Amino acid sequence: MVLKLYGWPKSTCTQRVGMALIEKGVPFEFVMVDLFKGESKTPEYLQKQPFGQVPYIDDDGFTLYESRAIARYIAEKYAAKGTPNLLPIADVRARARFEQAASVEVADFDAFAGRAVFEMVFKPMMGGKSDEAVFQDLITSLSAKLDVYDKILATQKYMAGNEISLADLFHLPYGVLLATAGSDVMQAKPNVKRWFDDLTSRPSWQAVKDGVKSTVNV
Amino acid sequence: MVLKLYAAPQSTASLRVAQVLHEKNVPFEFIPIDLRAKEQKQAQHTVKNPFGQVPYIDDEGFVLYESRAIGRYIALKYAGQGTAGLIPDQSDIKALALFEQAASSEFANFEVHAAKIAYEKLFKVRLGFPTNEEVVKGAIDQLNVKLDVYEGILGKQAYLAGSELTLADLYHIPFGTRLYRAGLGDLIDSRPNVAKWFNGLLARPSWVAIKDGITSTA
Repeated sequence: MVLKLYGWPKSTCTQRVGMALIEKGVPFEFVMVDLFKGESKTPEYLQKQPFGQVPYIDDDGFTLYESRAIARYIAEKYAAKGTPNLLPIADVRARARFEQAASVEVADFDAFAGRAVFEMVFKPMMGGKSDEAVFQDLITSLSAKLDVYDKILATQKYMAGNEISLADLFHLPYGVLLATAGSDVMQAKPNVKRWFDDLTSRPSWQAVKDGVKSTVNV
Repeated sequence: MVLKLYAAPQSTASLRVAQVLHEKNVPFEFIPIDLRAKEQKQAQHTVKNPFGQVPYIDDEGFVLYESRAIGRYIALKYAGQGTAGLIPDQSDIKALALFEQAASSEFANFEVHAAKIAYEKLFKVRLGFPTNEEVVKGAIDQLNVKLDVYEGILGKQAYLAGSELTLADLYHIPFGTRLYRAGLGDLIDSRPNVAKWFNGLLARPSWVAIKDGITSTA
């Protein structure tokens, strides 16, 4: 049975999963969950994703949520297909360096970029008012973290080493939205720019950037 | 050569690593980093952890930072000793995926909010800065929502990834204890399943050994 991805087409977390599926060449059916109609908060939905968020997958009856967990599952299950070593598991040290980079993405990038994008892009969509000062504070903090990224990326091609991994790809959805939010911070440091432009040029990002769609005919 | 843990005795991230070392019976030398003197920002530290944070380890020349990455490395390298199954084996893809789901949730649904409370009510107060009560209230509101979901999950299974203890459970302990220090222990105590789970974690010898501060075991 074809894997089903339940989400919202332009949800950052849904795009994160869409990218992983496309990188690994795994066909999927995209099922829209209408967030504005409250479809992620119904009792039926909460049975599958108890936090009432998108996305989740149903892989032949196995349901899983948290976009990074889903992407890891796909990379593991289809290790032999598509882009290799997205989750380097063979060597204890390579796996450790991956986990270090994956933790940095969550704690040092997403923590600031996610909130900055929310403040300027999503908050107004939900009827709230953007606070420019909050946004600038977050960008200042993010820029300091990206100064460290720039040092790391001066001596290696990607965040976990010289091969691309999920730790890099996880940055994309919020990284791209920073420009929409009003910050060019991803272009401002030479090695970060080189790395980020490489990521955004990948076919998997191009395929989901305007919204995730099924890759099989349903 | 004995593993070296460069950390601060009561830093939440340092405690996270020390607990895993105890769970896996891995002897270590604790090298204290003086956070008040900003030792973690000095060149000899940032050459090892470029983000200028604690902890990091030096395992016979292999340097690693990010507490959750270090915990995973210890659990995998010493899979054959100490507490078993802290990360499910990669041969069981579904068990590993459910672990990753719980591990992702730990940061996104728990730490994000608990850390704000610890920062506002403990860290800032210690340094003589005023608490932002609005931030605290927002974080409490979020934790109430998230811990209601935890209450449901832990009503059906003993631990967050299933019937077995994993790192995903242990990683909640440092900031969980800070909630009590901030006078907000009721967030946990008012929920019977969450309280039983959390108190069980606190009773583990690995936590008892470090709760008053990390010390060398080698």
